Amino acid sequence: MAFFDMIRTANHNLFRNKVRTLLTIIAIFVGSFTIILNVAINTGVDSFIDEQTASLGGDNFIMLMPPGSAEMASGMTTSSGPVEFVEKKTGETEIGAFSDQDIETLKNIDGIDADSFYSPTPFNGTGYFTSDKTDKKYEIQTMMILPPGNFQIPLAVGELVDQTEAAKQKKQIVLEPGYPQALGYEKDEDIIGKTITVNFKNEITGEWSKINVEVAGVEANSIVSSSMGAIMSRAFYDELSDVYYDGYPEDYKDKIPKYYIMATYDTSRFSEDEIKQIITDAGYEAWTVSDMMGMIRTFFDAIMIVFTIFGGIALLAAAIGIVNTLLMSVEERTREIGLDKALGMSSGRVFSEFAIEAISLGFWGSSCGVIIAMIVGSLVNTAVHAPGGFLEALQTFNLFEFTVGNILPFMLVIMLIAFLAGTIPAWKAARKNPIDALRYE
Amino acid sequence: MKKVIEVKKLKKIYGKRSTAFTALKNIDLAIEAGESVAIVGKSGSGKSTLMHLLALLDRPTEGSIEIDGVDSTKLKNRELNHLRNQNFGFVFQQFFMNPQDTVLQNVMLPLKIAGVKRKERKQLAEKALRTVGLSNRMKFKANNLSGGQKQRVCIARAIVNNPQILFADEPTGNLDSTTGEKVIKLLFDLNKKKHVTLIIVTHDEDLAKLCDRQIRISDGRIVNGGSKKSTKTSKSPATNTKATAKGDK
Repeated sequence: MAFFDMIRTANHNLFRNKVRTLLTIIAIFVGSFTIILNVAINTGVDSFIDEQTASLGGDNFIMLMPPGSAEMASGMTTSSGPVEFVEKKTGETEIGAFSDQDIETLKNIDGIDADSFYSPTPFNGTGYFTSDKTDKKYEIQTMMILPPGNFQIPLAVGELVDQTEAAKQKKQIVLEPGYPQALGYEKDEDIIGKTITVNFKNEITGEWSKINVEVAGVEANSIVSSSMGAIMSRAFYDELSDVYYDGYPEDYKDKIPKYYIMATYDTSRFSEDEIKQIITDAGYEAWTVSDMMGMIRTFFDAIMIVFTIFGGIALLAAAIGIVNTLLMSVEERTREIGLDKALGMSSGRVFSEFAIEAISLGFWGSSCGVIIAMIVGSLVNTAVHAPGGFLEALQTFNLFEFTVGNILPFMLVIMLIAFLAGTIPAWKAARKNPIDALRYE
Repeated sequence: MKKVIEVKKLKKIYGKRSTAFTALKNIDLAIEAGESVAIVGKSGSGKSTLMHLLALLDRPTEGSIEIDGVDSTKLKNRELNHLRNQNFGFVFQQFFMNPQDTVLQNVMLPLKIAGVKRKERKQLAEKALRTVGLSNRMKFKANNLSGGQKQRVCIARAIVNNPQILFADEPTGNLDSTTGEKVIKLLFDLNKKKHVTLIIVTHDEDLAKLCDRQIRISDGRIVNGGSKKSTKTSKSPATNTKATAKGDK
């Protein structure tokens, strides 16, 4: 009998007792639905975290900070109790910023790759944005220039500032979310290519200056990169810093806190904890990728373990259901099996037919599970991103992510479990003696 | 004529040691191509056991069964399955049909097992149903047929693979006399016109008389009719009927 015939026959036989078969499929469905949702959440969280990590430059990335700023930057702790007074290495209390002097010290710390230093140079001075669409002024919080390297800041619309040699003369900016609306544009995409004005004050001379820049893109909401601020093109930064730092005394210029330091370290030499200790010993603080992602991971991991256990228990019950359904079927079809064998069907074929029935049960159960999970998943994805949803601010975070890579292996596992459950009845059917089976009343 | 079945020193014992029961004792038997043979005997005589062995549904304890000169006791299970599928047709007293399937599906079953393609399966099954006069019932559920029709469907199923030998186990046992006669006529037509060797197991003497030869079994031995010649010479009924009452196992 051809293989295709066997699949057809197995399914035909399965649906002879529709109620029993459907109940068994529902049992498999419950287990597989629970687990596939888990798998989808896992994939969703992983890819979101990967995206976030990529926007920071990779998992060997480390962010350096002056003492006392790590906690503030993390935003995870609200109060740390009494803190001993430490004289800051920089002359000012600028959070997370280093001066030229600091950088020389940092470069001598063994463990951090000095060549990897990149400083997404920030502007944290006094200033505001204006546009010709509105009279209002919006405070500039932070503007920075992207470090060289493969940075992937998730964007809602537009492009990252063009950093090619040819485009170096373009004065461009990528705004943080919300600014297009504040500046009088209805949609994010409306502001792309438009010119806005950056107004800023030289702290020494007290003079105001303005620079017109073109908007290249708008950032998407994210957990970590929202604190980085708007992104400046090189040409824009150069013009701004020329004016902004003009007037400082010569002997103070190398103490101006104007850099954020991001670096990489050799992950094969140091663990995250070790590199943090080294940097702490040097009198600075460090923030690793785990620090940033740890909380999210821990939260989702806990949920996933619980649900996987539930799904596993449901699947175990379903497997027993498969054994039961097929054992009943073998008893009912004893005569039919006897006839098949009398007419020349081999024991192997009888076994295969029942095994294929079991696998089909697994297939239908897990297919229903996958389809319903995909529907539920996309409904939930839409709901949490809708206004008022708990992920409203994180549009690039798909809570449930379904891919061939996570669905297919899962379905194969369910079908394997079904097959294993089916071997008991299939074996019982295969060893029936045709004469006894034909005599069975 | 060539021998399609030749049985030598056949012995069948059920059970082991203390509970052992000898169902067949030293059977010698030959059946020629195109013959119609009745295996007759009382309940418990061993006639069903003999048929199961001849039809290769069971293996003998001792002795040999040659089908077309091939010793079946030396064949592997897979080869036995193939031999049954290709060369034998079966008609049972209780029909043994899949009641929820259509008539056509029931008739196609041996071809499906043989791995014949769907299109060809259907053609052959339709041809077999024409032979038994049921081509207008193809799409019916097997369950909705009368007893006589069911048995004719079973005959169609038995001949769909063009078998050399047709085994019929009490083919009229569940039928009234009128429909039984129709079924019998059909079986003997196949024997005469298509030269299918017919082996009927029955305790119906009238049916047995219609066959070329009657093999009488009693107490696990052939009393009469073991080979074609002996039929002509000794017509006397069995004398040593020390039949056991142990039941036809």
